[in-house]
Amino acid sequence: MMLLKYAWRNMWRNRRRTMITLAAVALNTAVLILFYALSIGMIEKTLRNVTGLVGGEAQAHARDYLEDQSLYKSLEKPEKIIAAANRIGVSAVPRTFGFGLAAKETKSAGAVFWGVRPEEERAFSWVNHLLKGTFLKEKPGKEVVLGKKLARQLRAEVGSEIIIVVQAADGSMGNEIYVVQGILKAIGASIDRGAVIMHEQDFRELFVLEDRIHEIAFHSKGRIDPEDLITELSSDLGQAEVKSWKELMPVLADMLRLSDILLLIFGGIFFVAAGLGVMNTMLMATYERMHEFGIQKAIGASPLRIVTDVLAEAFTLSAAGTALGALLGYGVSYYLQFHGIDLSRFSEDLTIAGIAFDPVWYTAIVPKVIVMPMLIMCWVCVLASLYPAMVAALVKPVEAIHHH
Amino acid sequence: MKLILITLALTVSSANAELRGRTAKEILDYVDDLFRGDSSKGRMTMKISTKHWTRTLSMNFWGEGKEKSLIRILSPKKEKGTATLRAGNDIWNYLPKVRRVIKLPSSMMSASWMGSHFTNDDLVKETRMADDFDTKVSFQGEREGVEIVELTCIPKEEAVVVWGKVVIAVHKDDLTPIVSHYYDEDLDLARTMTFSELRVFGGRKLPARVSIIPSDKPAEATVITYEEIEFDLKLPDDLFTLRNLQR
Repeated sequence: MMLLKYAWRNMWRNRRRTMITLAAVALNTAVLILFYALSIGMIEKTLRNVTGLVGGEAQAHARDYLEDQSLYKSLEKPEKIIAAANRIGVSAVPRTFGFGLAAKETKSAGAVFWGVRPEEERAFSWVNHLLKGTFLKEKPGKEVVLGKKLARQLRAEVGSEIIIVVQAADGSMGNEIYVVQGILKAIGASIDRGAVIMHEQDFRELFVLEDRIHEIAFHSKGRIDPEDLITELSSDLGQAEVKSWKELMPVLADMLRLSDILLLIFGGIFFVAAGLGVMNTMLMATYERMHEFGIQKAIGASPLRIVTDVLAEAFTLSAAGTALGALLGYGVSYYLQFHGIDLSRFSEDLTIAGIAFDPVWYTAIVPKVIVMPMLIMCWVCVLASLYPAMVAALVKPVEAIHHH
Repeated sequence: MKLILITLALTVSSANAELRGRTAKEILDYVDDLFRGDSSKGRMTMKISTKHWTRTLSMNFWGEGKEKSLIRILSPKKEKGTATLRAGNDIWNYLPKVRRVIKLPSSMMSASWMGSHFTNDDLVKETRMADDFDTKVSFQGEREGVEIVELTCIPKEEAVVVWGKVVIAVHKDDLTPIVSHYYDEDLDLARTMTFSELRVFGGRKLPARVSIIPSDKPAEATVITYEEIEFDLKLPDDLFTLRNLQR
C-alpha cells in the first residue's frame, strides 16, 4: 500500500504533465470502449437480422438445391425434419420457391415466388417488417407481399393487382392475378429486388405442385448454436443437408471476422499511442529523479526496488487514466445504446453483404467491452514503463548523484 | 420465332435456282431480302420434351416482314388463346385466363418461350443474319452421302448477338437447310437444329420438321412440325396490334 501511495504522490510532482498523460490515456480508453461497443452492437444487430428476420440460424435443403434451384429438387421427408426440430424446441418453417414473371400493366420483372405458411412465418420477424400493408393472412386468398424494390419497379401499391406468369411443374404456363397485401421493408438484396411472397396453397395451385418443400428455416432464437443444431438434426435428415447461416452467407461470416480483425488493428494503434505517451512521461519523470535514484541506490536500494517504484507510478497513472476513460467511454456508449447514430442520411438502404442493416447504429454494452480495453491499456502502459524503470534501476549511484 | 423464320427464310431461298454458285453472303442477303416485306400464315405443332414432362402445343402463326409476328396457341386446352405478339423489339403475351396482356421485361429475353427450348430472344432478334454476321462458305462437297454447302457465320464485332458462331449446312442442289449448329461465346456447341421431312408448302419446298436439341441437356428437345404454311397473302392491317392480341 505504501508503494502505491508513494507512486501516487510522485505522480503529481509535475501536475500539468501528468494531467496531459492522464487525459491521453483516458481518451484512448474511452474511444476504444466506444468503438468496441459499436462494433459489438453492429455484429449483434446484423446477426439478429440475418437469423431472426427471415433466414434462421440454419436451413435445410435437398442436396444441390442451392446450386441449381430447380422446382423439382424438393426435400424428401420435410415433416420428419420439422418434427425433429420441434422436439428440441426449435422453430422449423417450411417454404417453397419458384421463378417467373410478375407484371402490373406495362411494368414487368422477373421474380422469385415464395410459398409460405403465414402462421408459421411468425417465428420470424419479417412478418412485422412491412413498409406498407400487412403480411399474408392465415388463409390463402390470392394475395401477395412484395419486396421493396420489386414493388417500386412495378409501381405497385397495397391493393394493386399483380399478374404472375410462371412455368408450372407440369410444363404448362401458370398465370393468375393476385392482390398486393403488403410491401416489405428492406430485408436483403435478393428479397428486395425480386421476392413475391404468397400463401403455400396459392403457390401450389400456380405451380401445379404437389406438397413439395424446398427449404426449412430453423430458428431457436439464439438458444442453440447453429453447429449444435445441425448435429442434433443429423439423424433425421435423410438426403437433405443443413447449413448454418455462416455457410449460407460466407461473405457475411467473413465480414464479421474482418470486423474483429479491424478492431484488433484499431485497438493496437491506440494501445501503442497511449503506451508511448506513458513511456515518454515516465522517462521524463525518471530523468528528473535521477539524483534521487542515485542516493537511493547509494544507501542500499536494490535495482528491483527502483523498478517496482517506477512501475508502480506508471500503474497508478494508467489505472487512473483508464478509470476516467472507462467512465467517459461507458457514458457515451450508454447514451448511444438508446440514441443510436443515424446513418440514414448517407444511404437510404444500408446493406452489408446483401443483408439490410438498420441505419441507426446502436452500441451494445457487455462486460468485455469495458473490461478488455481497461485491462489491456493498464498492461500496455506498465509494460511501456519498463524501459524508463530499467534506466532508473541501472544508474551508477556516483554519476546519478552528480546528475542535475 | 427467329428460328422459325430463319427456317422459312432459308427454305424459301431454295425456290430460286439462280442462287446456286453465289457467295455465302449473297445467299444470306438473298434470304433476308426474300423474306422482307413478305407475309406468311400457318399452323404448327411444337412438341417439347424435358426431363420432367412432355407436352405438345398446337398453334397458328402469322408473320410480316422481319418485325412482326403473332403466335396463338390452339391447344392444349389450358393454354388455348394464349398469344405472343412481337412488334419490333417488344414481346407481349396475352393470357386468356386472366385476360391481360403483359410486356416481357428485357431481363427475361433469354428465358424460355412457353417452356420450350426456344428463348424469347429467338422471337425478337431480327432475322437479318448478314447484318450481324460475317459469312463464308466453309465447306462444299459431299458429307454423309449428301452434296452440301456449309456456311460459317461469325458475329461482327459490334453486333449484339448471343452466339459466338453459327454453322449452317444446306443441300447443294436446292439450298434447303439440313442442320444448324449454334455455338456460344466460348465457341462451345450450345444447341443443334435439325431440318427434315421436306414438303411442299405454298409451292415451296420446305423442311416440315425442325428439331432443336440443347447441348447441355441432350435428352431434351423441342420439335416443330409445320402442318400448313401459306405465303404472300394479304394480312389484316390490325393483325399485329395489341388490340387484336387481346381478342
